[in-house]
Amino acid sequence: MSEDLPVLIDADAMLGRHPRRDVGGGTAAELLAAMDRVGISGALVANMTAWLHDPARGNRELLGLVAGEPRLSACWVLLPDTCGEIGAGFAEAAVAAGVRAVRAFPADHGYDLAGPDVAPVLDALSSVRLPLLVDAGQAGWPVTEAVARAHPRLRVVVGGAGYRMLRQIAGVLDRAPNVYVGLADLSSHRGLEWLVERFGAGRFLFGTGTPYRDPAEAVTRLLWSELDDAQVAAIGGGNLRRLIGQEVRAA
Amino acid sequence: MNRLAQAVWERRPQTVTRIVDAHAHAGPYSVFFIPDPDAAGMLRVMDRCGVAHAVLSSHLAIQLDAAAGNAATAAIVGQAPDRFSGYLTVNPWQDPDGELARWGDDPRFVGIKLHPDLHDYPLTGARYAPVWEFAAASRFPVLTHTYSGSPYNDLRHVDEVAARHPGVTLLAGHSGVTPLGIDQSIEVAKRHERVILEVCGSYNSGADIVRMVREVGADRVVYGSDFPFIDLRMSLGRILFSQLTDEERAAVLGGTVTGLLGGRGA
Repeated sequence: MSEDLPVLIDADAMLGRHPRRDVGGGTAAELLAAMDRVGISGALVANMTAWLHDPARGNRELLGLVAGEPRLSACWVLLPDTCGEIGAGFAEAAVAAGVRAVRAFPADHGYDLAGPDVAPVLDALSSVRLPLLVDAGQAGWPVTEAVARAHPRLRVVVGGAGYRMLRQIAGVLDRAPNVYVGLADLSSHRGLEWLVERFGAGRFLFGTGTPYRDPAEAVTRLLWSELDDAQVAAIGGGNLRRLIGQEVRAA
Repeated sequence: MNRLAQAVWERRPQTVTRIVDAHAHAGPYSVFFIPDPDAAGMLRVMDRCGVAHAVLSSHLAIQLDAAAGNAATAAIVGQAPDRFSGYLTVNPWQDPDGELARWGDDPRFVGIKLHPDLHDYPLTGARYAPVWEFAAASRFPVLTHTYSGSPYNDLRHVDEVAARHPGVTLLAGHSGVTPLGIDQSIEVAKRHERVILEVCGSYNSGADIVRMVREVGADRVVYGSDFPFIDLRMSLGRILFSQLTDEERAAVLGGTVTGLLGGRGA
């Protein structure tokens, strides 16, 4: 790629197999090949094992999967620590391990993201400045807003917004300045342009939802948008760098 | 990277091939907010990407009122006949014979649109009989919504209708939507040579589209976006960055549907 072209860092990628569609083996090599096919430089990746089987094991194994892969950065999956599954020092351990963000799957892991069980973990994430990533289908917009209001220093990035939610997205972005929206399946007709015009490019992060989603969707949506090059550069990677307060590695 | 994908990365409209969107709508839709859903907003996106033409049915026609909605479709096509063609929407509860008689000879319409899920009526139902008769006589292709597992437009309904009416060209809109539905749509298309796979939907991928082309041929697979229901670029990007050959990609993006329309509209 030319130096003039935007650098895209995927804030919404996963490693591992998926039980309900053929995504291949889910290896780091396959992810990197998929990124190369569409021109993505780097990615923040979580582990399917942490989402769909055993969060503690998935988080632990993820560190090995991204070790030696300079284009991939780790994203852990949180749980409430009511059963002692992740340990009281989860947030500090994540930072120590080089983890750059944390994902939550409250619907699939059976807890309330806005409830008291997980609040101490979210407070700890705020303290160490790790952003929280959550899919819209996992928490819903009212819960997302409640979490953002209860933890005003926590940066909450909502992915998988789909094409039916602009009425709710616009309300939450208006009221909760610490909520951000990812581009994976952000698919309303001219929705990206409409949102950026109202809330600024700083509230949006490039993400693909790969391997469940085809990363070509988000790449085409952003690069063929009507946004200017500076806005595309910010959404493509600059905003993520700002959110995690450090450089995400890219090719 | 192929030349179309290069155009995406260079942030300029593509000029490599004539892209025809075989599955479009127009106008507002009550269930969710759509920015700029009318013709001007659609043309803006088409021009941004280099999409030449779209075949559409108005949201008014599929959601509420076929008569008023078909008039809306005709008006949009009339404003920009070089960019848009119309699907004549038939709602089985709203006078199918009357709509076919009113618009069947109008050059602004080039195909039929059915949406069994929205109308709570099975694709195989008797109220659609005038559609099959009209389509067989006129050679209009019929675009039907499909969704795997639906009681109204599952792939088994497409299978049954295709067997009953082998002379009708039937576009399976969304190709069943889900990963399972995509597999099922390929199987149905392999059994019926006039079943065409249309590829828009929230769960399709470039790899799935490549598989469709390998299984049934690029002359049986067509690009559609569903825009402005969903942004046009989502489905388009999957095809542009897929591992189709240049010839296959050109067919899926426009060549195949242009041939199916037989010189009408697009």
